[in-house]
Amino acid sequence: MSLWVDQFRPRTLDDLHYHQGLSARLKSLAASGDFPHMLFYGPSGAGKKTRITCTLRQLFGGGVEKLKIDQRIFLSPSKRKLEVNIVQSNFHIEITPSEAGNYDRVVIQELLKEIAQTQQVDLNAKQRFKVVIINEADSLSRDAQAALRRTMEKYMSNMRIILCANSTSRLIAPIKSRCLLMRVAAPSPGEMELVLKHVAKRATFTLPPEAAAKIIDDTGGNLRKAILVLEALKMQSPDLSGPLTIAKPDWETYCHKVADLIVGEQSPARVMEVRGKFYELLSHCIPPTIILKTVAERVVERVDESLKADIMHWAAFYEVRMRVGSKKIYHLEAWVVKVMSLYKHFFFDIDMSSFD
Amino acid sequence: MVAFVSNGLLPAPKLDTTNSVKTATFQPNGLLGQKSSLLSTSILGVAVEKNLTYETDSCNPTVPHFAPNGLLSVTSKPPQYTISTELNSSSQDDDDLPPVSEAFGLPTMLLSEHALAPQPLSSSTASTSRFSVRATTFDGKTLFIRRKPKVSQDARRRISPTYNSQRIGNLLEVPIHRLMDDLSTVAAAKLADNRQPTASSSKSTEVEDTLWVDRYRPQRFTELMGNERVARETMAWVKQWDWCVFGSKKGKKRPKTGDENFNDDDEYHRPREKFLLLSGPPGLGKTTLAHVVARQAGYEVMEINASDARSGSIVDDRIRPALESGSAVGSDKPVLLIIDEIDGATGAGENSTSFIYKLVQLAYDRPHKKNRTGQNRGADKKRPILRPIICICNDINASSLAKLKPHAYQIRFSRPADIHTVKRLREVCEMEGLKADSRALTALVGIAKGDLRGCLNTLQFVKSRNEDVTESIIRKATTGMKEAETSLITVLNDLFSPMTKKRVKELALSEEEESKYVARLSREIDSSGRESSIALGCFAHYATLRQHDANFSRYEQANEWLVTFDMLSAEIYSHGDFALSAYLPFTLVPFYPLFQERGGQRVERNQADWDNMQLTKSNEEIYKSLARCLRTASTRLGGDFRHLLSTPTLQLEFAPLINRIISPPLRPVNSQIIKPVERAILTRLVSIMASLELRFFQERGEDGQLSYRLDPPVDVFITYDGKRAPDIPTSRYAVRHLVAGEIDALLITRDADIVEKGTRGKHDFFGKSSSFHKRPLDDPDDAAPNKRIKIDNRDIADKPPVDFFGRLITVPSTSSTKSALRKNIEKKYRVAYKFAEGNSAAVRKPVKFDTFL
Repeated sequence: MSLWVDQFRPRTLDDLHYHQGLSARLKSLAASGDFPHMLFYGPSGAGKKTRITCTLRQLFGGGVEKLKIDQRIFLSPSKRKLEVNIVQSNFHIEITPSEAGNYDRVVIQELLKEIAQTQQVDLNAKQRFKVVIINEADSLSRDAQAALRRTMEKYMSNMRIILCANSTSRLIAPIKSRCLLMRVAAPSPGEMELVLKHVAKRATFTLPPEAAAKIIDDTGGNLRKAILVLEALKMQSPDLSGPLTIAKPDWETYCHKVADLIVGEQSPARVMEVRGKFYELLSHCIPPTIILKTVAERVVERVDESLKADIMHWAAFYEVRMRVGSKKIYHLEAWVVKVMSLYKHFFFDIDMSSFD
Repeated sequence: MVAFVSNGLLPAPKLDTTNSVKTATFQPNGLLGQKSSLLSTSILGVAVEKNLTYETDSCNPTVPHFAPNGLLSVTSKPPQYTISTELNSSSQDDDDLPPVSEAFGLPTMLLSEHALAPQPLSSSTASTSRFSVRATTFDGKTLFIRRKPKVSQDARRRISPTYNSQRIGNLLEVPIHRLMDDLSTVAAAKLADNRQPTASSSKSTEVEDTLWVDRYRPQRFTELMGNERVARETMAWVKQWDWCVFGSKKGKKRPKTGDENFNDDDEYHRPREKFLLLSGPPGLGKTTLAHVVARQAGYEVMEINASDARSGSIVDDRIRPALESGSAVGSDKPVLLIIDEIDGATGAGENSTSFIYKLVQLAYDRPHKKNRTGQNRGADKKRPILRPIICICNDINASSLAKLKPHAYQIRFSRPADIHTVKRLREVCEMEGLKADSRALTALVGIAKGDLRGCLNTLQFVKSRNEDVTESIIRKATTGMKEAETSLITVLNDLFSPMTKKRVKELALSEEEESKYVARLSREIDSSGRESSIALGCFAHYATLRQHDANFSRYEQANEWLVTFDMLSAEIYSHGDFALSAYLPFTLVPFYPLFQERGGQRVERNQADWDNMQLTKSNEEIYKSLARCLRTASTRLGGDFRHLLSTPTLQLEFAPLINRIISPPLRPVNSQIIKPVERAILTRLVSIMASLELRFFQERGEDGQLSYRLDPPVDVFITYDGKRAPDIPTSRYAVRHLVAGEIDALLITRDADIVEKGTRGKHDFFGKSSSFHKRPLDDPDDAAPNKRIKIDNRDIADKPPVDFFGRLITVPSTSSTKSALRKNIEKKYRVAYKFAEGNSAAVRKPVKFDTFL
């Protein structure tokens, strides 16, 4: 059985609970017949993929939900085998090129050409074209994006591309200009409550408003997370009454612990302790940028007003360097030392002019 | 010999003028000298005997002379035929004989009286006077020259040399043995002459152009210096091959392994380790040892070193043929392969590993044929090597050697005691006439860190400038040798602590030079060639130093440099821009001014980063298996879980929350008396776990305690610092047991469902079978309650037998439950319930049937 996230996922555009304007536009686009390339962007858990599937259903009917999942093997130029998982129906195909790492270009080139060069054979199909959904488009390498841009124009008659990304900043301009941009914003607390209530109703229980408010507060606009948390909560304490502790992901709790350590004491010994914690987090495959961001946010919460800007500035500074570099732990520690130094200077009121 | 040749090859006109006797005399001599054949010599031998019978003791010396001729017989017969016919023809031509006086003008002078004396005798005994020609010598003596009877070819061949040889013995003025002796002495003298100048000249040039290292290289096992144990061990290993290579007769049978190894270990009697791996710092004589030992043990050495390309194909092209043929071309000794510098010059990892992989494979190839000599040169019949291989390397820990090490007998070279090295150096100095005081030599050895080759080179250099060896000159000469060997730890220690006084003295640095550190340290880092490991070492070490750093400024700087290092190296590697790598060492040098401290803590190898990497790898595997589970689930459920698969979502949201979803606070009670609320939770839990392919597996712990393990172990993602998240209680054994049982039951029904559906689909093929199929895919919402009801219905019946109070049977074997379940499923809807079974002390109490549902 599926989790609630999937079980109660809206299947059609009409079922969607929020962003009604967006739904209406998608509906009219699907009906118009000249469906464009699209780029869905927005924060995680806002409902991009749900909207994409709904749009597909609108375009092709129920047939898109007959999915086939398989693995394709591509050969990189250096003859390395790349395994990419592909989800497809008769009318569309869904890929995550970032699975192939640096060789995503190969996947894009081979797969897209293959799809683009075959026409829709199903005569009953509502549309003449197939749809390619590219997940995590913002992690496409520059080469892959370049490979994409020409394909998008050339095979317009056979294929439409729907890109799904968290932000458009990492996409090159030519791609953005070829797509219809669809921003899926995170739902507001009210909208989230609506959805949670709906889920509760479908799952045949009533959700106390306090619990809903707590969940919404904790998940910060990530609806997927909210529903997962709700389900976890329901599993943990079935009656949802009494004092509720919202289950936070452990890595988040741990990051907060790290932040508290940093604020609590500034000493070489503490640096070593924090390093150990960072190693622990990294070994759990938590992306280092997320670690840095979470810890920094927590530190900012706990320090004096005048320090906040500086701490965030250095966090951003080291995040950029981290993306360039290869050994993440150096950059994390560099930031920690920087923050400790800032904090100490602030505490002992030493001149800070040299730290600008 | 030479003298005879010239005789035999007398110019043609002379031949014509001389009489037949003379030609007959000399021709055979020429024959003897140049192309004495077996036949002719044997006949000659007969002739000698005849001579012996007729002649006086003066002929005796000829015997030893002919004997060696007979031994020399190598040439083929045809030339002998021609010569003999020539002889015959010349002797037949007696009608045209020149005047006797003319004919005997020369010969008589050559003939000795002794030789002449028996002549009449022989002629008279021949008693064939009508065949002889009468001749008179100067002094009036009559000579009868016998005319050769006309005989058949065979007879002629038999006879004619006899007569000729009769004369040979008589006609030589100087006995041939004497000539031979003279010749040999001349030849010897000549050779000696030749050798003398070449030897002397080569000696004089050698002084200039061979390295002392070569000149004083040990040639024999006994000349080896240094660690005797190492030499012995090497020899012992090579000797272990004797049984295999030379057969059992030569090698001693190994004491105890003789029998047991015969069958199960190796049918060729090879030692257990097929390779010998010599390792140690340069200049201690590893290569020399290998060569000397190989030679001593009777092998021909084949060497492959860093100058040869080393790839997998080399093994096939060069090594295999050489080792299979067993011996080198033109040599009857078995070959021994020395692979020098096996760790070095490997560069690209792929090449080196394939080389070593193939090498190891070579040794362990199973023979296809029992035939050991391998007559069958069939297409690609691979045979195991039957010859020893010695590998030599500097760094035993080189990653490329990892595959080799388990198959190799490893011998480590260590620096021999300085005294021995100094002693050897002093011997060399004496031989070279170099004045050296032992203080200087000790200093030299100290600087070179025991590298004998380096020492010798330095001494030669000193000698070439005609200087005496003094300490100061040594200092000057060894300036380049200072950083000969730099290991990771030494580099790190040098970075974090200033040079010791002793070392400063050793290197004879002035105060000023000592304080200059950038060039020294950067060179040291560079020569180690492991910048990233050094950076890691710095990173691990700097924070452990308990130095007062009030405002963290030094820490900041250190981190700044580390970050710079990382960015620079990432840039270099991602763009392949290795020209920049010259700058890398400089980014690490600043640790010296920042953190150097005399007598500070020594740097130790830090494992934290490595451990972290291993842990990350294993966790990545778990994520991968979780992702696989999600994928299968999404295949089964029409793509439901696929949105949770994307990289950050899986780690950040799904992994921690699924752990909470699958661990509800269930009470460990019997599933039959469970409360309806809990029943619902349990059902849901079981269905989620089943669809995600999460399972509980029973395991026996080390203490013999049974426990259920989650597989894949996704609970590591809620375990930080070895502690589980506090809000998730570890479910107890009984609960897990309950859940595991339920999952098994569900899986069985699911399988049954599929079978059922399949048969039903067949029955009404044109009916609504398609709608049946579609429904669970299209609308899991509808399907779910259906399933649930089904589960509820057979719950009671399906449970493994438990007693009335719901006490769990503590050690039920899962297989038996399974089979029990399977049995129950066949009669799916029958409720079988026995009341008051088992313990008679049961409390009786009226129960409504609903409680069971």
